[in-house]
Amino acid sequence: MPGILIVASALEGSMGRSSVELTGAARNLAGPLSLPMSAALVGQGRGIGQAVETLQQYGVQTVYRCEHPALTPGQSDAVLAALDLVVTKAQPELVLISADTVGREVAPRLAYRLRAALATEVMSLAVDGRAVMARRQVYGGRAIATLEVTARPAVISVKPRAFDVPQPQPVRGTVEEISLTIDPEALPTRVREAQSERAEVGLDDAQVVVGGGRGVGGPEGFKLLEELAAALGGAVGSSRPPADEGWVPITWQIGQTGKSIRPNLYVAVGISGAAQHVAGVSGSRTIVAINKDPEAPIFSLAHYGIVGDFRQVVPALVAKIKAAKGA
Amino acid sequence: MDTIVCLKQVVDPELPQWDFAIDPATKRQVRMGKPLVISTYDENALELALQLKEKTGGKVTALTLGPQGEVKDAVRLALAMGADEAVVIDDPQSPQRLAADKASVLAAAIKRIGRFDLVLTGCESADWVERAMAPFLAEALGAACVTFISRAESRDGALSVRRTSEEGFQTVDVRLPAVLSVTSDEAIRPRLPKVKDIMAAMRKPVANWTRADLGAEDAGGAKGVEVKDVSIPERTTKVEFLEGEPAEQAEALVARLRALKIL
Amino acid sequence: MSITLLRGAIVLLMLTVAAGVSARKLWRVYRLIRLGDGPVPLQPIGRRLSHLVIEVIGHTKVFRRFSSGLLHLFIFWGFLVLLSTIIQVFGEAFVPGWTLPVIGREPWFVLLQDVFIVLVLIGVAMALYLRLVVRPWRLVTQDQFGAYLILGFITGIMTSLLLSRATGIALGHAGWAGGAIVSRAVAGWFEGISTPVIRGVFEAAWWVHIGIVLYFLTWIPEGKHLHLITLGPNVYFQKARPRGALAAVDIETAERLGASRAEDFTWKDNLDVFACMECGRCTEVCPASNTGKELDPRRLHTDLRKQLTAVGAQLLAEVPPDEIKRPALVGEVFSEAFLWQCLSCGACVEECPAGNDHIDKIVGMRRHLVMEEARLPENMEQALRSMEARGHPFRGAAVTRTAWTAGVQVKRLDQGATAEWLLWVGCAAALNERNHPSMRALVSLLHAAGMDFGILGDAEVCTGDPARRIGNEYLFQTMAKQNIATLGRFGVRRIVTICPHCYNTFKNEYPQFGGQYEVWHHTQLLARLLEEGRLRPNGSLRTAVTFHDPCYLGRHNGEYDAPRRVLGAIPGISTVEMAQCRDKAFCCGAGGGLYWFEDRTGERVSHARTRHVAATGAQIVATACPFCTLMLEDAAAATNATARPVDIAELLAQSMGPGA
Ligand SMILES: Cc1cc2nc3c(=O)[nH]c(=O)nc-3n(C[C@H](O)[C@H](O)[C@H](O)COP(=O)(O)OP(=O)(O)OC[C@H]3O[C@@H](n4cnc5c(N)ncnc54)[C@H](O)[C@@H]3O)c2cc1C
Ligand code: SF4
Ligand code: SF4
Repeated sequence: MPGILIVASALEGSMGRSSVELTGAARNLAGPLSLPMSAALVGQGRGIGQAVETLQQYGVQTVYRCEHPALTPGQSDAVLAALDLVVTKAQPELVLISADTVGREVAPRLAYRLRAALATEVMSLAVDGRAVMARRQVYGGRAIATLEVTARPAVISVKPRAFDVPQPQPVRGTVEEISLTIDPEALPTRVREAQSERAEVGLDDAQVVVGGGRGVGGPEGFKLLEELAAALGGAVGSSRPPADEGWVPITWQIGQTGKSIRPNLYVAVGISGAAQHVAGVSGSRTIVAINKDPEAPIFSLAHYGIVGDFRQVVPALVAKIKAAKGA
Repeated sequence: MDTIVCLKQVVDPELPQWDFAIDPATKRQVRMGKPLVISTYDENALELALQLKEKTGGKVTALTLGPQGEVKDAVRLALAMGADEAVVIDDPQSPQRLAADKASVLAAAIKRIGRFDLVLTGCESADWVERAMAPFLAEALGAACVTFISRAESRDGALSVRRTSEEGFQTVDVRLPAVLSVTSDEAIRPRLPKVKDIMAAMRKPVANWTRADLGAEDAGGAKGVEVKDVSIPERTTKVEFLEGEPAEQAEALVARLRALKIL
Repeated sequence: MSITLLRGAIVLLMLTVAAGVSARKLWRVYRLIRLGDGPVPLQPIGRRLSHLVIEVIGHTKVFRRFSSGLLHLFIFWGFLVLLSTIIQVFGEAFVPGWTLPVIGREPWFVLLQDVFIVLVLIGVAMALYLRLVVRPWRLVTQDQFGAYLILGFITGIMTSLLLSRATGIALGHAGWAGGAIVSRAVAGWFEGISTPVIRGVFEAAWWVHIGIVLYFLTWIPEGKHLHLITLGPNVYFQKARPRGALAAVDIETAERLGASRAEDFTWKDNLDVFACMECGRCTEVCPASNTGKELDPRRLHTDLRKQLTAVGAQLLAEVPPDEIKRPALVGEVFSEAFLWQCLSCGACVEECPAGNDHIDKIVGMRRHLVMEEARLPENMEQALRSMEARGHPFRGAAVTRTAWTAGVQVKRLDQGATAEWLLWVGCAAALNERNHPSMRALVSLLHAAGMDFGILGDAEVCTGDPARRIGNEYLFQTMAKQNIATLGRFGVRRIVTICPHCYNTFKNEYPQFGGQYEVWHHTQLLARLLEEGRLRPNGSLRTAVTFHDPCYLGRHNGEYDAPRRVLGAIPGISTVEMAQCRDKAFCCGAGGGLYWFEDRTGERVSHARTRHVAATGAQIVATACPFCTLMLEDAAAATNATARPVDIAELLAQSMGPGA
């Protein structure tokens, strides 16, 4: 059935949020292009059944159910083998994949195999005539590129968190079992072990960084920042004085002399915004400054400013974020 | 282990914002007069290749595609760091091309170089950030593929690599030949060449090929994808002050972050 | 055989043995020194001789510590004068009662000898007081035993001399003694003592004197006493190139880059280590040592001497290279931290009475680390990489090189303009917003004075100075040659710069590669423009200012006055000097490439400097270097100091009133 195929992942035994986001992304296109939506559901374990239901809840008409013990986290080769079968069967015009660990490997490879057009790391999707207009960040977030995708088939990888979880739109869909014969031993790559280091997100790679400055006043202050970082799923960094004073490890220092980071979100707490510090964070997409001095130079750089004492602002923020996440 | 490392030269990504401009004709960053550097993670890839070579022997070839006049420094640096040879594919248009297009040229070049166990690329280029080169090359070369790795160890004829994932790290066993994309890690901080290596680099062989040599015809854009527009978002970084009591300020910020899809 | 003959023969034998032993030791030292290579700069004789006279005979360096200077002057001149008595005593061995011809019996000369015997003894007493009571750090940490031994010897030589002179007078065979008032007074004590006893005392004193003198002779070529011999030549051969210039290396031909073994230094470096008298003055003034760092410029010399002696002995004995026993010079003898802590501020060089150059040796070892091993602190490495890729060391700079020109009129040579003067901005001023007001002030002043000047704009790249101090001579030379070509292309002959580091590099280092320019520091030009009446400050600033001497303007280039003349010309300003000013100034902490890396042991050098500023009570610390401005600004903020740095150009511009 030619249409939009999303790749839904239940590699961990259940389906995660990013697959649902894909249904939202696909809906942006499905309507204007009047294409039906199907999903290749890849994974293993008991959560698969639930995943099928969820997909149908969000408007997926056909679910190609690929279940196999080899379809485990990080097993891109197995996923690709499954997708090979699904696309042969479904002949989709558009394939949408979440640009996660597996997706960023699989999307280009699938595009290559299908001789399809490719757009990666897409943040928003629209339709112009028959063309899909995909927007994404380039040049470290300094610019936004709009790609016009005219060819069919096309593979599009979507940045996780770029799309909201849409409103449910239940359909009574069909499920097609895809029978897979994957010999794990024959796959060229095999995940041997996985290590979760969530707690220790490295500064360099963190998508959210909470930076503390001299205004944080000491190691106790940084405890508050660690709570904030944990709530945001990010890492804590610092300006130079805290590193100097030994409140935090030297590896935390951000700036001209320290690390250069480009997270999605940088929260500067008790940092004045000296050039040497800003040098290390100017690549951040969004900057929030919390400072008790409304004249602090950091505010000329920040997108959002909170004037106040961080000892009150930060705990309030932690509480609100937790509430928002719980919802 | 014979390794080919793909290096791309980009305009210095740390250039101040003032200096950043888009050329409306090419819809790419203005390159004229701007410092060019090897794309950040490509240097990590080269470092990893050199470390593997130090442990297991073999040869490291630096491969770069770009306007020939511009890539001299990148090639010189790669050779000085320890690459044994370099191949330059001259393509004045390469800064405007997308990954799919360039991958076919690079794959042709790699086939022409011949023997290899491993091809390394950066996990993303500092400018266009497509993150697609390694998977493309893996397909074109019929090799295994793992992206965003930061460590690699040779284990009886295969490799064991550490891939960065959402949760942390995964250890992945990879058969050779393989194409891997490399991210940064303390252990593969690009080395500073020694002066004698810089001198020696001047005598290392550099092959100059053209796109035409490789039989890659000018497709003029990548298979049905066209860059329509590149715009600099209005940095009306007029800070928005969030007013009120701490709880209200926090509430307002959470709403903004959700709108930005950060939360 | 007559008793005289026998005495003569014994003395001759002793003398021969002692001289032989001494000569052998000296010859070894000479061969150790010659293990190093490098040129032997005999020219310009006049200037070198005058240095010799001023510094050695005149003791100018030693006098930087008054009491030490005085006591050493007594002992040193005492030895010069009393060489005559020593010769006489030896003469007496052969001809009883022999004195120097012509002057030996002149009453004034004899008096002089007597006076110096006393002065030397006073000097010894002062030295003992200093060591036992005052106990300055630099002496307490010295080899104390050797010091007391030598003081003992001097006392022995002097008392035995005095006794032999006195008893000689008492015995009545000193027809020369007319002027010897001291000796005669001592002779008075022997009145009423029987002749044979006096005779015995005379003989004993005479033999003891000869014995100590000869033993001393064999002892000189060891340890720090060697300076008696090496210091003269060392001062004579002192670096003739300008103080601020480091020596160029021929990268293409050099077999090894930099120094990692005792024998890798130049012969002059080796002579330095044998001329070091371990006085510790260098360490006493070193800003790194003073802020609790490991760097110790005295130990640099004493340990190098130990290494050169131990390793050199094996080399001279032609031990095969791989069998030579030695610790790693870089890493073990001197840790990497030790080497990276040097600010190349030159305080040690300024102070050293032996004429030693500490910076050359440290940079030599840095060159090894950087060019042979590519091992250096990460942030320095980033700075060097940035210089290579972007032409400036400020990785991540938030502004472009010409951003500061927004809103000011400046000719751009890179855009086709021509001008008589090149205003060289330098990376520290151009790429750090903190310094933009200084640049704009300078430009307004130059306009006000009607100067014809322009900037190179985007054609300017770093002079290479940080690379050279950090030890990457290769990168420095690449950039120097590139800049010289650029300057040639634009026909630049006269340069004014706000940065003393650029100033030093253009003036003292580019000539090594054929770049000859007339180079002015902005404070020099401003002083000149004020004196010519082309700038007339009128507004009064009414503030207390202290001036921080930049190392590369002051000590390295001898310019202490121009900035002070500019400050003096600003109405209303009262200047207060810091205790550590002019040639005793204390580095801001940025020199030697340490702007990009500062060891976190101990206090920050910049914070220490901020304390010096605070001690003056000044409201403003006037600066004349963009690096100093950055460092002192940061330190003032960190220590909550009230006095903030302001460049002299900015102070002057403020006093020019609106519209100037
Ligand atoms: C050579 C050199 C290299 C340097 N490299 C770096 C570098 O790599 N990284 C770096 O960060 N700096 C670097 N610096 C230092 C830099 O110039 C600044 O001094 C430093 O960044 C200032 O840090 P800060 O903003 O934390 O402190 P400050 O400038 O002291 O600012 C503290 C801020 O906290 C605010 N504050 C105080 N109390 C509270 C409160 N209760 N609640 C909320 N806000 C509060 C104050 O209003 C103030 O704005 C470098 C400097 C030099 C000279
Ligand atoms: S140059 Fe300055 S920092 Fe270096 S050893 Fe001499 S006094 Fe110390
Ligand atoms: S190097 Fe010079 S100043 Fe330092 S201890 Fe030796 S003689 Fe004294």
